[in-house]
Amino acid sequence: MVPDPSSDALHARARAFVRAFEAGEPMPEAFDALASDLARFQASRVAGYAKLCAARGVDVTTLSRAGDAPAVPTDAFKMTRIATFPEEGTRVTFRTSGTTAFARGAHAMRDTGSYDAAALAFGRWALASGLPGRVPVLVLGPSPREAPDSSLTHMSALFVEHLGVAASERQTYFVQDEVLDVVALDERVAHAMIHGEAPVLVLATSFALVHLLEALDGAPFRLPKGSRVMQTGGFKGRSREVVGEELRRDVARAFHIDERAIVGEYGMTELSSQFYEATVARAAASADAAPWVYVEPPWARVVPVDPVTLAPVKDGEIGVARIEDLMNVDSAFAVLAADRVRRVPGGFELLGRAPGAPPRGCSIALDELLGR
Amino acid sequence: MARTAEERTRDVRTLLEAARRLVSRADTIAPALASSTGLSPEGVRLALAEHLEVDARDDELASLVARAGDAPQVHVILSSNVFVGALRALAVAFAAAPSVTVRPSRRDPWFARALVAELGSPAVRLAEDLPPARLAEGEIHVYGRDATIAAVRAAALPGVRVVGHGAGLGVAWIGPGDDIAAAAASLARDVIAFDQRGCLSPRIALVAGDWARASSFAEALDAQLAEWEVRVPRGAFSRDEGAERVRWLETLTFAGEVRARAAHAVAVAAAGAPLAVPVPGRNVHIAPVVDPAAAALLLAPLARAIVAIGVNDASVATGFVPPHARVSPLGRMQRPPLDGPVDGRAG
Repeated sequence: MVPDPSSDALHARARAFVRAFEAGEPMPEAFDALASDLARFQASRVAGYAKLCAARGVDVTTLSRAGDAPAVPTDAFKMTRIATFPEEGTRVTFRTSGTTAFARGAHAMRDTGSYDAAALAFGRWALASGLPGRVPVLVLGPSPREAPDSSLTHMSALFVEHLGVAASERQTYFVQDEVLDVVALDERVAHAMIHGEAPVLVLATSFALVHLLEALDGAPFRLPKGSRVMQTGGFKGRSREVVGEELRRDVARAFHIDERAIVGEYGMTELSSQFYEATVARAAASADAAPWVYVEPPWARVVPVDPVTLAPVKDGEIGVARIEDLMNVDSAFAVLAADRVRRVPGGFELLGRAPGAPPRGCSIALDELLGR
Repeated sequence: MARTAEERTRDVRTLLEAARRLVSRADTIAPALASSTGLSPEGVRLALAEHLEVDARDDELASLVARAGDAPQVHVILSSNVFVGALRALAVAFAAAPSVTVRPSRRDPWFARALVAELGSPAVRLAEDLPPARLAEGEIHVYGRDATIAAVRAAALPGVRVVGHGAGLGVAWIGPGDDIAAAAASLARDVIAFDQRGCLSPRIALVAGDWARASSFAEALDAQLAEWEVRVPRGAFSRDEGAERVRWLETLTFAGEVRARAAHAVAVAAAGAPLAVPVPGRNVHIAPVVDPAAAALLLAPLARAIVAIGVNDASVATGFVPPHARVSPLGRMQRPPLDGPVDGRAG
């Protein structure tokens, strides 16, 4: 990795948040202090961000609150490289999934250390709290060899390495060439049950779970007692009330696990932090452990903003997600996502992608162009 | 007995005469149309005066009749269309069949109803509803979004042909020899019409040359659109459309150069950057390209949706125009001759 003292110092401050979280200690400094320094750093290195600040009338030299810094729309990651360092300093570039011929978003990183530390610390809290130790981690997704530019696969591999028992690639990753290998998964679960490896941790996208249920065609697929499932991925704007709850119910029934053992994860390629439901990490009776409520780590915030003014909406109102992520040291610490969210006690609700403007006339709508 | 080509042409001409009578009452009908379409009254008058194809030539109508086909009956479902599009839809249907029923767009029904009433012919009738599953014969011509067309196809009875006309967008090509100021003035006319709500409306302009030339073109187009705003104010836009516009502006502010005013915006992206199609409402994405081959590469992901290309030197355009798209000179993208369906994608 090419040294960069300014970036390295900011990474060190970001990782101090993670260490404090893991140690159960107070955060080392105010969120706004590091966020403001990140904004200054990024505006000094990324011309586009400096322009965005100028267009919004933000003077980063005097910035003291994270919320005053403009957020970079996720669409910008498709149009231009967003990085504080030159191309040759890139260690890895994560890319958004490409289901159409349209451009994929790219998130270049020179140092994945902060990403890894944050993902592992919060993932361990959200998914592995109360587990007896290392457990089989079963990924209903491709291996890092097959999908080296997927941030989700990278994160899954981290969990496999740090939370899982030793297992071969074939015993761990169950999607190859975009096909879910249900037989291999069945064999692995049976092996775990026979050898007393229970419980298991399943990492899956919603699509993979849908495919699994289709393959099962109503047949049960019992997981060892105490198993958990991390479910990630949205429903393309369809409401969770219609699809998400039904899918979760069906998955719980098929796996013979409690619905609360299915933990929703919300993350995106453009970020370095993730958000989870706290149904496993916190006691069921806890008010902030309700299903469908996503919790932030101390180093990230999700702020619903008005999609026209970009100002925060009142608590309880729906807005577009403005995400402030202190681990995004070398790209954009504040990102404007396309998802709608609402603050609720304990966290935020994820309400899916904004449906897009229903256009008058016969001009093609953006959703139609993108095949959404 | 099937009508002859002359009889079909005569029937279409009676429709055009009815439309012409409506245009003669533009001042009277503009407020109702403004309310129905969301355009400003000035925008409605502009559309009636310049974009309603009431003066078709004989050869154009001959082409329309030849392309319309033949059916005992045509049912026209207008779901998504600019208001003047009802005339072309009915003209194609009336050329194809001696009996036409039309269901106007629920969001923008005024002009289609007025046109049918003005025609006053028992051969062309309004229908409040046209459930495809109950249409036993003839053809269904549906003008709507892909999902609507697919739903109509799925519901249509066997033997009933469905002809779908989907949504689309236009692209302008500013060639290396084009005068920047003149090209900007021409393109502004195409952008203003229907506030870009038409399927032919240009939302992307490719400028041959480097970034500086594209930026000069953006500056000129910005000035032209500002002038038009005084004469023909932009109409009403929804909050959702406003939200999409803000997102596009923020993205292009980061990734390019933006000139934004209350009622229009132009943005220049870096050479080679993917296209970010703006929401309608007088917003244009401008991209510098080195040559037509680079344009083809850039447009490839959008090819199916591109139904109009504005270009002054049509010979240059052959390298990147999708075969179904109409090619018109800049400034005439929104005035296609009445020679058949609006684009070649129907099927």
